[in-house]
Amino acid sequence: MNLKDKNTRMLKSKSESKHRVVVIAFLISVFILPFVLNQLGRTGEFWIWVTTEMVIMALFATSLNLILGFGGMVSFGHAAFFGVGAYTVALLMKKAGAPLGLALVAAPCVAAVAAAIIGWFCVRLIGLYFAILTLTFGQLLYMLAFQWYTFTGGDDGIHGIPKPAFLGPVNYYLLCLIIFLVCLLVMRMIVNSSFGLSIRITRENPERAKFIGINVRRYQLINFVIAGFFAGLAGGLFTELNRFAQTEFLHWSKSGDAIFACLVGGMYSFIGPAIGSSVLIFLHIFIQQIHQSLVEIWAIFLGLILLGVVLFAPEGLVGLYDKIFKKSRAS
Amino acid sequence: MTIEFFFFILINGLSEGMILFIVASGLSLVFGVLRVINFAHGSFYMIGAFLAFSLSTLLSGGFLISFLLLMLLVPPAIALLGLGLEIPLFRRIYGKEHLLQLLMTYALLLILDDVCRVIWGGAIRNVARPEILAGSIDFFGQYLPTYNVFILVMGPLIALGLWYLLHRTRAGNLIRAAVSHPDMLGALGVNVAKVMTGTFMLGCWLAGLGGVFMSALANIDLGIGMQKIIECFAVVVIGGLGSIGGALLGSLIIGVGIAFLQLPLSRLAIVFPYIVMALILIIRPWGLFGKPER
Repeated sequence: MNLKDKNTRMLKSKSESKHRVVVIAFLISVFILPFVLNQLGRTGEFWIWVTTEMVIMALFATSLNLILGFGGMVSFGHAAFFGVGAYTVALLMKKAGAPLGLALVAAPCVAAVAAAIIGWFCVRLIGLYFAILTLTFGQLLYMLAFQWYTFTGGDDGIHGIPKPAFLGPVNYYLLCLIIFLVCLLVMRMIVNSSFGLSIRITRENPERAKFIGINVRRYQLINFVIAGFFAGLAGGLFTELNRFAQTEFLHWSKSGDAIFACLVGGMYSFIGPAIGSSVLIFLHIFIQQIHQSLVEIWAIFLGLILLGVVLFAPEGLVGLYDKIFKKSRAS
Repeated sequence: MTIEFFFFILINGLSEGMILFIVASGLSLVFGVLRVINFAHGSFYMIGAFLAFSLSTLLSGGFLISFLLLMLLVPPAIALLGLGLEIPLFRRIYGKEHLLQLLMTYALLLILDDVCRVIWGGAIRNVARPEILAGSIDFFGQYLPTYNVFILVMGPLIALGLWYLLHRTRAGNLIRAAVSHPDMLGALGVNVAKVMTGTFMLGCWLAGLGGVFMSALANIDLGIGMQKIIECFAVVVIGGLGSIGGALLGSLIIGVGIAFLQLPLSRLAIVFPYIVMALILIIRPWGLFGKPER
C-alpha cells in the first residue's frame, strides 16, 4: 500500500496535465447537468433530486473514509453524526425559525461536538472493540431520537422543514455541489497535510507512530472529530433536501451504507468513496426503474456486490481501474 | 411486586437468557477459533427459527415427538448451511483485514435477511408448544410455565455438553489448540482448515438450536435476527470474546435485565444491552472474563 501511494504520487506529475483536463471536463458537466435535466420535465426533476442526493452522500462517504481508509478504523456509528447534523437543521429551522445559512453552519459544529464526546471514549479501543463501541454509541443516539417524542418527534421524525423560496431544485443542487467541492478540497488538504500523513502512519503501524512521538489517540480523536464535522454537514444538507429528518438517519444501517460506498469505490483512494456512493445510489434507482419489485430484494443485490468486492477487488472500483488501465505503471 | 409476579419475570428472563446463551456461545466459539466476528450469526438463528416454523406446519403439532424432531433436524440443517458458506466464502478471508472480514459477514447478513423475507414474508409466526410442555408446573406453590422450565433445563445441559466437548474430547482439544496455537497445530499435522470448518458448523448448529427454542417461546418475525446479533454482541462484550463461561454470565445478565426492565420501563429495556455494552467497553474492554490482548 505504501509503495503504491508513493508510486501514484511520483507519477502524478507525468499524468498531471491529462488528469487535469478530465477533472475540468467533469466539473463543467456536473455544473451544466441540472440545467439539461431541468428541460426534461418531471423525470428531469426526479433526476435532479437523485443527483443532489448523490452529491450529499458522496460528502458523507468521503467524511467516513477519513477514519476508515486513512485512519484504518472501522466505525459503525458514523451515521450518528449524519443524524445529529440532520436533527440540528430540522430543530433549528422548524422549532427556532432559524435561517438555512445559520442551520447549515450549526449542523457540522454540533456534530463535531458529538464526535468529540463519543470519540473520546472510542479511540481508546482498537479494531473490533472500536467498531462495536461506535456501533453502540450510534444506536444509543438512535434510541434517544426514537423515544424522545417531545423533542425529536420519535419515529414520526420532523416534517415540513421550511425551504427558502429561491432554492429551487436546480439551485439547491448547485448549492450542495459547491459545498461538496469546497469540503472535498479542504479534506484533500487535510489528507495531504503532515497531519494526514501522521494519520496514515497510525493506520499502518501504531507502535512505530508512538515511537516517533505521535500521540496516536489524540490524532485519531482529532481525525474522528473532523470526520464527524463533515458528516454533520452532509446530514444537514440531506434534511433540507428531503425537508424532513427521521430516526433512520441515525441507524447503523446508514453507517453501513457509507462503509459500503467506501468499499465499493475504493477506500485507499481519496475520491473512491464518492464514486462508490454515487454508483450505489445509481444502481438502486436503476434497479427500481427496471422493476418496482426488484427494490424489495435490493439488499440481496447489495450483499452480492459487497461479497464480490470483498473477495475479488478489495481496493474497489478505483483499485480495479488502476489494475486495468495502469498496469504498466504499477511495476 | 408480588412474589408470584417476581418469579414469573425471573423465569422469563432466565429462559430468554438461556436461549441467548446458546446463540451467543456459538458466536463466541467461532470468534475464538476463526478470529472473525460473524454479523450473520443472528441470521442463522433467525433462519433456524423460521425453518422450525415451516417444519412444524408439516408435522402434526402438539406432540413431544414433533418438537424433538425439530430439535434434531433444524440445527444440523443450519450447520450444513454454514458449511456451504464457510468453504467458498469464509476460507478466503481468514487472516485478512478486520474490515474485510466484518464487511463480508455484513454482506451475508444483508443477503440472508432478505432471502428470509422473500421466503417467509413479514408475518409474525410461532410454533405450537407440544402439549406436554404447554402447561405449567407447581414449583413450591409457584406455577411456572413448563416450556420455560424445559429451556432452563436445556440451557445448562447445552453448556455442560459444550464444556464436555471442549475439555474432554479430542475434537475439543483440537478446537482449543486452534484457539491458542493455530500454527503449532498445523505444524503437528492437523488439518486446521477442517477444525475451523467444524467449529463454524458447531457455531451454526448452536444458532439453529437457539432458533428452534425461540420459535416456541415467543413470536418470531424478520426483526429477530438483528435483535439477537446485537444482544449477542452485548453478551460477548460482557463475557469477553471467546469465553464460554463469560457468555453464560453475560446472557443471564442481559436476559434477566431486559425482563425486569420490560415492565416498569419498556423503553429502557431496549436500550439496556447497549448501555451495558458501552459501560463494559469503556471500563473493561476485554470483558469480565477475557484477557487484555495487549
